[in-house]
Amino acid sequence: MNESTVPVFSVLDVEKRFLLRKGRGGPVELRALDGVRLDIEAGSSVALVGESGSGKSTLVRMLLGLDRPGEGRVLYDGIDLQQVLARDRSRFAREVAFVYQDARGSMNPRFTIGEIIGEPMRVHRLHPAQDIPRRVALLLERVGLPASVAVRYPHQLSGGQVRRVAVARALAQEPRVIMADEAVAGLDVSVQASLLNLLRELVAELKVTLVFVTHDLGVASYLCNRIAVMYLGRILETGPVDSILQGPAHPYTRGLLESFPRFDRPLRAPLRGEIPSPVDLPAGCRFASRCPCVQPQCTEADPVARALDGRRLVACLFPLSGEVAAA
Amino acid sequence: MPMATRRSALAEGWSAVWAQRSARWGMGIVLAYVLAALFAPWLATHDPVHQAVEASMQPPSAAHWLGTDSFGQDIYSRLLYGARLALAIGFGSVLLGMVAGVALGLLAGLAGGRTEWAIMRVVDGLLAFPELILAMAFLAVLGPGVDNLVYALALSFVGPFARTVRSDVLQVRAQPYVEAARLMGVPMREIVVRHVLLNVAPGIVVQAGIRVSIAILLESGLSFLGVGVAPPTPDWGLMIAEGRAFITMAPWIAGIPGVALAILLVALNLLADGLRDALDPRSGEAR
Repeated sequence: MNESTVPVFSVLDVEKRFLLRKGRGGPVELRALDGVRLDIEAGSSVALVGESGSGKSTLVRMLLGLDRPGEGRVLYDGIDLQQVLARDRSRFAREVAFVYQDARGSMNPRFTIGEIIGEPMRVHRLHPAQDIPRRVALLLERVGLPASVAVRYPHQLSGGQVRRVAVARALAQEPRVIMADEAVAGLDVSVQASLLNLLRELVAELKVTLVFVTHDLGVASYLCNRIAVMYLGRILETGPVDSILQGPAHPYTRGLLESFPRFDRPLRAPLRGEIPSPVDLPAGCRFASRCPCVQPQCTEADPVARALDGRRLVACLFPLSGEVAAA
Repeated sequence: MPMATRRSALAEGWSAVWAQRSARWGMGIVLAYVLAALFAPWLATHDPVHQAVEASMQPPSAAHWLGTDSFGQDIYSRLLYGARLALAIGFGSVLLGMVAGVALGLLAGLAGGRTEWAIMRVVDGLLAFPELILAMAFLAVLGPGVDNLVYALALSFVGPFARTVRSDVLQVRAQPYVEAARLMGVPMREIVVRHVLLNVAPGIVVQAGIRVSIAILLESGLSFLGVGVAPPTPDWGLMIAEGRAFITMAPWIAGIPGVALAILLVALNLLADGLRDALDPRSGEAR
């Protein structure tokens, strides 16, 4: 394998189980991740899409090294992540930036915005101390905030401004990879749109790899060039954005697409019911209980991910479109 | 840059205290006591321990502004020197107890596991005794004296400080910004100082403010009971104890130091309340 083809992150059959101490029959096991496989190529932007409880945040925490996989491995540049962290945590910390969903909570309330954005530069000695205020001003300008914000505190800014500061802080460490957990959720639509535009520009301009967690397929398709659809701790479908949007192969993906409100047609709710509890997963396909095109075999065999059209993977016994290649 | 912003945060905190009327009163009165204590040698009209039997138990007059006690000592002069002792013991013991308690609480909150368990059991042991009883027991072993009094009071404050600091540390440690700092590669030592301690500090300051008045009250109490400062040292507790026997014939002997003590305690509490309101991020515009 030569250098350019090694993915930045490789997730190899990762499992994560949590033991819950409730129920009468002793501890109960929750499978947050169950056989996840994913390659994140350098320079790509990958959206992890799924309903809440699908395990997307757990997967990101694992990629960041905050949680260890119970089974399977996470590779960073082809090397086991635990090894990378043991050898040089500081390098990994600089190369991989994380933008929290709770942007305000991820900032020390007693630091000014200038100190918050300057911290990664100071810690990793990216710039001499006297240059940091100037760099902070540049970054603030880059994310569309006035330089005067540098002397204010996080609680004095609006939700949208705080998210921009979080992006500026991520950029300050000059990362290779930016991960963001629901970075635009809970904002006004107009604020959301301007933040999305900013992120898209930055990704194109800085050639960083982006891993974006969202429950919103619209956001995912606007920002990213690949989508991984997660459901109950497994990736059901991955592939390029366009081909998935035009022809979803998994019934769940189609359901997500159809539950997205649009002006030109009445809203359907094709996904009936709630996501089942990850504490006792059904036998067979985990989506069978909600699948509109369920077949008898679906409750017996747990489908493995199979290649479809060469560039996509789908974990369904009866994919909706395209030719299924041999697994 | 960090120094400059720290200073402005301090200035902001100061103005937030100053903005409250009751805190301003408290600060003014405490400041007056501090000045009186500092300049006691110049303000005093007599030697505080000079006994003049012929001039004993005199009511306030031109010669003795606040009267004399049963030994003929000038109450006004003793009051000034007593303020010195009360403030020194109050602030000194709180400072000492705070340093030890904060260190223990920080260690327990950050280390967790067995270390935390061991530290907190010791702290529980300290907290099981009321402050006055603990200090009395300690003084009974070490003997009276100003320095022993400071140590005894400091010991009784270690528990409360350690306990609150630990719970604050546990709370701050769970905040996303601490995890974010770790992810960013901030070294552990710096996370503790810049992220944890900085956010725990306001609680410590507020508690210290309240404890100073408790320390002064306890100090007077211990001296009143005869286990604190030894006579004839000018001490408010001693003065009250001494005047207690003559409360009907010469009420000023016990009454004047009593009133002085009460005013100082009220002022200290007003100031501590002001500090709390100024430092609590949830109260109004103040940070």
